[in-house]
Amino acid sequence: MSDKVKKDGGLRLDAAVYSGEALKLAAFVFSDRVSVTLKPAKGGFEVLFKNAAPGFAPGDYLNEALNQQCRLDLAGKNSKAAGMIATKALLSAAGSARKKK
Amino acid sequence: MAQKKAAKKTSAAAAVPPQLFWRREGADFLVTNDFGHYAWLKKKDFDALAAGKVGEKHPLFAGLSAKGFVRDRLDFDSLAAKWRSKNAYLNTGPGLHILVLTLKCNHKCLYCQAAAGGAGARDTDMTPATARACVDFAFKSSNPGITIEFQGGEPLLNWPALVAAVKHARSRAKAAGKELKLALVSNFSLMTEEKARFLMEHEVSVCTSLDGPADLHNKNRCFSGGNSHAVTLKWLKYFQKKNADQPAGIRVFKPSALLTVSRYSLSRHKEIIDEYVKAGLEDIFIRPLAPIGYARNLWDKIGYEAGDFAAFYLKSLDYILKLNRSGVVLKEKMASMMLDKIINSRDPGYLDARCPCGAAIGQIAYNYNGDLYTCDEGRMVGWEGDEVFKVGNVFRDSYRKVMASDATRACVVSSNLEAQPDCARCVYKPYCGVCPVYNYEVQGSLWGDMASNDRCGLFKGIFGALFARLKGPGSEALLKKWVEK
Amino acid sequence: MKNKTISVRVSLGEYGLDAVRYAAHASSGAAHVFIKLAGSGAALVEFSPTGSVPAKKIAAAFRSELAEEKLRAAIYAANRELRDFMILKALSKEEAPVPAPQDDSGLTPEQEKELDALIAQVESEIKQEAAAGAAGDPLGITRTWEDKYGAKKSRKKN
Repeated sequence: MSDKVKKDGGLRLDAAVYSGEALKLAAFVFSDRVSVTLKPAKGGFEVLFKNAAPGFAPGDYLNEALNQQCRLDLAGKNSKAAGMIATKALLSAAGSARKKK
Repeated sequence: MAQKKAAKKTSAAAAVPPQLFWRREGADFLVTNDFGHYAWLKKKDFDALAAGKVGEKHPLFAGLSAKGFVRDRLDFDSLAAKWRSKNAYLNTGPGLHILVLTLKCNHKCLYCQAAAGGAGARDTDMTPATARACVDFAFKSSNPGITIEFQGGEPLLNWPALVAAVKHARSRAKAAGKELKLALVSNFSLMTEEKARFLMEHEVSVCTSLDGPADLHNKNRCFSGGNSHAVTLKWLKYFQKKNADQPAGIRVFKPSALLTVSRYSLSRHKEIIDEYVKAGLEDIFIRPLAPIGYARNLWDKIGYEAGDFAAFYLKSLDYILKLNRSGVVLKEKMASMMLDKIINSRDPGYLDARCPCGAAIGQIAYNYNGDLYTCDEGRMVGWEGDEVFKVGNVFRDSYRKVMASDATRACVVSSNLEAQPDCARCVYKPYCGVCPVYNYEVQGSLWGDMASNDRCGLFKGIFGALFARLKGPGSEALLKKWVEK
Repeated sequence: MKNKTISVRVSLGEYGLDAVRYAAHASSGAAHVFIKLAGSGAALVEFSPTGSVPAKKIAAAFRSELAEEKLRAAIYAANRELRDFMILKALSKEEAPVPAPQDDSGLTPEQEKELDALIAQVESEIKQEAAAGAAGDPLGITRTWEDKYGAKKSRKKN
């Protein structure tokens, strides 16, 4: 992959492997280093890189996309447990008693 | 006969273990669970556990079932209580309130993350009125215990604000019926007898930095006004003597010291620890450098890899244990906090290693101008021009609004280990935590990417060292003594 | 000498795509990782080392992690409900009431109302789930063998 992809260029990704949401999130993380455009393509997406900063590697973007996808995969299974803990933490910090009317 | 059949039925029914985490270490497996229990297993026992085949006749059945590793023998009430104890911080709001009294400082420490200005820097002093407003805000926390920590820059450079805050806090604590602790983090260079007396009379504990022997300490912590190492030791001895004497009517706390490990420290662990012992200190907090704030700009000069710190830490830990065996009283603070979780299922109040992290909901950093941040590191990011971790202002925003702010919620969500793909699977998950500020500064997002996160690598190194030593009966006994209830 | 890219072919019949993704991600600290579908029922995972760890070693670590993830996923799936139940149980215990923070809210009346409504909704959901689940035993684990399967029938004695 890395031999074929240019910094100013693109690559094709399977939507079954990398969801659009994961790709968009990764694009945002890299927004200070490269301009990423996502185009729908057959069975997936075409990812185009432009104006890449020195040191940027498309492989870094792909790693981040995979990281985000794994996070989305986990959320699909673990959202209840995660939600209970986050809710409890925020409610306790705010104080459980509410203003009396 | 009936017993035999019941056992058979049980082992057939228990075909799956309860939720567990594991990591292979050589020939052995470390297993942990959500309740904070752990066990070291040989491969054959791990295979049996993972297959749900640890039945009543298995030699490890009693121990594993008591720890919640056997699905058919879960004591729900006891395990839930254990989980609750370990995560007690989920029931309260911020307990630690860091007041940055000034950004002025008379030291120029290599690794300073405080974004300190020089001693002559203007308009970076907290006014006494702002200090009192910060104290009032702190007392709005839903936490029954409040710790106010005075930091800077060098907080002694803003003595009027410190005095105002201390006096106001003591009177508020009395009225509110809350437990109050006051702490000063200072380089001691501006300490005087008069100031020391005030601090002791108002029961303010003191903490300083000690980076090792004089040449190393002074290299890390440049003080143009003199010898930083000498002045640090002078006042450490002073407060130690006062603690030993305990003047009538007041409670003088033992002074403590923090170690910041720079690249220059990595080859000198013995000398550093010996310096702490010579200084009469019984705790050493071996803290890694983080590429946040000023330290980030100098990282190529003073920074190091996670593996380098892990090696330093391991050598230090072993040396401290060796000293313990010869009768020297010395504990490593980070290890003690981790061990408190591992052995006692107790919340040690370590805001960096909890789920979710303590950003805003466990601590608040109050900048000199009343701006509020998720933590001191978040405040440093703000100083660099990015206010992503700002949660409000002490004059403009209510406590509830701060606790419901975007930054607060974002940090809670992103530091929830249940939502982190690597952490959710990690054997150290019951005891660990992530730092959204570190993730943001180093990896570009609050979530970070733990697969390539140096802080994660560092923590794994520390946990690995601790659990390896908990395997050996001699070192296990010593470490357990560190956290005896 | 530059480390070469190595590809590992994985059967999606044997390992789910989630498992392949996670196992690949776990190796991403040492390599750039690229996953693509390879025909029906397979995925190709490419590792391009970014440091000194050889590609073969990364691929071996990936295969090992894949096997671990398969086991992990099975254990997790079997325990998900129980785990949610235990967390809810732990969180639902009545704590001693925490004194309400003194209210000097800088919020507008509408914002206060909205925040109160949100808190009330979430607390109500937690209480409902607690009443339904936390006191119970949804998976029947605490029931004795006799309760589950009825009285012991007479069996041939040894």
